[in-house]
Amino acid sequence: MADAIVKLDHVRKVYQQGKIEVVAVDDVTLTIDKGDFAAFCGPSGSGKTTILNMVGMLDSPTAGKVVFEGKDISTLNRTALSRLRKDRIGFIFQAYNLIPVLTAFENAELVLELQGVPAAERRTKVMGLMAEVGLQGMEHRRPDELSGGQQQRVAIARAIASEPALVLADEPTANVDSDTALAILDLMEKLNAERGVTFLFSTHDQKVMERARRIIRLHDGNVVADERR
Amino acid sequence: MIFKMAWRNLWRHTRRTLITCVTVGFGIWLAVTLSAVGEHSYSTTIDTGARMGAGHVTVQPDGYLDKPSLASRIDGVAALRDKAAALPHVNSASPRITGQAIFTKAGNSRGGMLIAIDPRYESASSSYFVEAMHGPHAEGALFETPDAPQIVLGRTMADYLDASVGKKLVYTTTDKDGDMVAGAGRVGGIFETGVPEIDAGVVLVSIDKAREVLGYGPDEATLIAVTVDDQHAAQEVRDALAPLAPKGASALTWRETMADLVGFIALDRASNQFFQFFLGLLIAAGILNTILMSVLERKREFGIMMAIGMSPWRLFNIVVAESFFIGLVGLALGVVFTTPWAIYLDVHGVDLSSMYGENSTMGGVVMDPIMRFHMTGQLLAGIVGTMFTLTLLAGVYPAIKAGRVPPVESIRMI
Repeated sequence: MADAIVKLDHVRKVYQQGKIEVVAVDDVTLTIDKGDFAAFCGPSGSGKTTILNMVGMLDSPTAGKVVFEGKDISTLNRTALSRLRKDRIGFIFQAYNLIPVLTAFENAELVLELQGVPAAERRTKVMGLMAEVGLQGMEHRRPDELSGGQQQRVAIARAIASEPALVLADEPTANVDSDTALAILDLMEKLNAERGVTFLFSTHDQKVMERARRIIRLHDGNVVADERR
Repeated sequence: MIFKMAWRNLWRHTRRTLITCVTVGFGIWLAVTLSAVGEHSYSTTIDTGARMGAGHVTVQPDGYLDKPSLASRIDGVAALRDKAAALPHVNSASPRITGQAIFTKAGNSRGGMLIAIDPRYESASSSYFVEAMHGPHAEGALFETPDAPQIVLGRTMADYLDASVGKKLVYTTTDKDGDMVAGAGRVGGIFETGVPEIDAGVVLVSIDKAREVLGYGPDEATLIAVTVDDQHAAQEVRDALAPLAPKGASALTWRETMADLVGFIALDRASNQFFQFFLGLLIAAGILNTILMSVLERKREFGIMMAIGMSPWRLFNIVVAESFFIGLVGLALGVVFTTPWAIYLDVHGVDLSSMYGENSTMGGVVMDPIMRFHMTGQLLAGIVGTMFTLTLLAGVYPAIKAGRVPPVESIRMI
């Protein structure tokens, strides 16, 4: 049996919208294993992003607990959570969310600098990553000088630069054309296979679902199916 | 990376940042101008006060300051004067006899200040009245020897007494024992300062003639007035003179002999600083507004940075660094704005006599109507330090706000 990287134990998340309580996630229990290439699927409002947020320690459950690498994250303060995100988790957002004042190289380098990696080592590593994601020669471009697909590649480079245990990707192909989406999926698969990075993403995209080795289907905040291929 | 990001963030809204930096620069220009012009005014007024009165440092009988009287005097002034004149920073050391007298000519009488001087030790730099005798409106000349029989008086008094050059004038006063005595001399010169109190109330006579009339010994005087090359050296000169002062006499600085002026300057300086502090607060409010707006616009970015592991403390530092750069650029602009203005004021000055009159006074002392620049390193450091501190403080609240951005709400992944 594979080692668990994340465990959700009877996790529930309720949002207050005015006087109405909205149940985004309702009593979800599941385990994400190291090396998984798993996708959360389901219609809008099914709770995909909410679960990703809680796994990524950006949000906390209303009830139940999230355990990351054996640590109950509800016991950690803001600084400890921030340190854990920096060292163990990579994020890829739907809207790329690069830092606009930094170049592609600097965006990918940022997490390494936060980790205190020496400049020379950072340079070697980031240049290698840029080549790996197909952005060689574009290192010094700012996000507004890159296409959507190129920006998402930078986001992937940033997410894996720190060699995280887990990469969370929220609709990573939603804002790119189909060719670019396929290229991004190839890249993520390659990183999963070669580096053993665990990928957990949410998607509506049938092509993405076809490539995932594990599909967790959600509906109204509940896990309705968990299929492994 | 923090400084790099902060610097680049500033120039995402070039116009807004420039306006804020110009505001800081303008604030520095205004604060430096107000302070430097004020300091020049204080400095020249103190020097003028010293030359109108008893110098930057005075050796005078104990109690004379509270109860001036011609009965009060010190002995051994010649040797003391020579010693004082030899001290570092001393420009002049002049024995003087000062007291009240009534001046009469042909039935007209008027009270005034009798000042007996030794012309060998007086010059335009030691005495405001001697300078006035070299002025364009003066008539006649100052006597040249310590025993000259001539009298020199202000224009208004001369007009009142109908005393033109060459006419005889009698003065009545009390001698060293308090008895009424009278002296006389011919008018040798008439000065005109434009200050009513001086032109109508000051009469100069030679010191030896005054000694004869008052019954003073040949080496006695009311005081020795010492002027120095730097008013801040007055205390040092006073400390050197104190042990040399004869028994029953003390050495005092201008701070003690011109207490009214010192009080006036302190009040004026305090109100100036108060105004500058409020000016600084207004500028800080402008910076706060700029940085806060910029933080609120970047909530999403802050959320992303926190998501990828940047600590709230680092985010705080980025925003404070932005304030720091605004302060730095503002300071550079302040230097650009202020330097030519300072040079112009230093070289040419701005004549304010049309606004305030030729001879306005502060604490009874004539002020220089030409606005000039006098800046000290300490003052400049104070202004720059205060402006910089306020700029940094203006960034603290937005910085705290940036560090508290909830990542999940900012990113809006939901």
